[in-house]
Amino acid sequence: MITVNTKEHPWHNGMTVRMVIEEKGYTFTHLVVRVNGTPLPENLYDRFEIHDGDEVLILHLMAGG
Amino acid sequence: MDAACYARNFDAISTAEQSVLTQKTVFVVGCGGLGGYVVEYLGRLGVGRLVVADPDLFEVSNLNRQLLSSHMNLGKPKVLAAKQRIQAINPLVRVDIHQVKMTNANSLSLISGADVVVDALDNIPDRLVLQGACKVAGIPLVHGAIAGWCGQVCVVMPGQDLLDKIYPDAQVQQGDEAQSGSLSFSAGLVAALQAAEVVKLLLGRGAVRPTLVLIDLLRNEIIDIAI
Repeated sequence: MITVNTKEHPWHNGMTVRMVIEEKGYTFTHLVVRVNGTPLPENLYDRFEIHDGDEVLILHLMAGG
Repeated sequence: MDAACYARNFDAISTAEQSVLTQKTVFVVGCGGLGGYVVEYLGRLGVGRLVVADPDLFEVSNLNRQLLSSHMNLGKPKVLAAKQRIQAINPLVRVDIHQVKMTNANSLSLISGADVVVDALDNIPDRLVLQGACKVAGIPLVHGAIAGWCGQVCVVMPGQDLLDKIYPDAQVQQGDEAQSGSLSFSAGLVAALQAAEVVKLLLGRGAVRPTLVLIDLLRNEIIDIAI
């Protein structure tokens, strides 16, 4: 099990950040992702592996006013 | 103080607290979707002085969400509409306006004297400039932003630099609102949360929000995240 934005989410072998984004249904073009507090650039989403117990933070990048 | 116009503030806000609010100054930076509602809420509440800055004029595309916009004031300064609106609702509130863009050069002098600053801007670089100025001036900043059905709010106490974590790339101008647009209820909701945080800060009352609130009205999610 991992946590995504404080909520538990099932973990599986080979899980990448991109998979988490798709499983959780985040559709925004611009996201801010942190894994265990460390910022992750978008070019690593497809290959950065998530481990059991990781804390993932996914923020929609929004700046409208 | 003419207490009659604040009668329905009581006792959620005490008469003593109402008097405190009349002595306070709030600087609202940005007078569009968020700022228009924030000014409305704080003006009706009876915050003594509102200072509003925005360089823009109303455009047709503002009408879907910006409270202060109408077909009557297209092409007119947003800050002027804010002043006229609050004067019509609550003349006890002083409204000072600046039809200027906030920059590194003017930000400190603009926010000087404010008890709380509200971030109701519409782009990332200006938000980071504002955070820097509030840090130097030692003034709490209440941040809000929207995109489509989503919104976020947090309180940035001086030196916390929370916006650096929300916006890690200062070169990026906009978020997803460029694609998803901005909806009226997202603006109203986020502005209401910002106004509530402002009043708590001004009164030293309640628990000032220590987290980032993320709102997704389409997914029925409102979550608090420590960042």
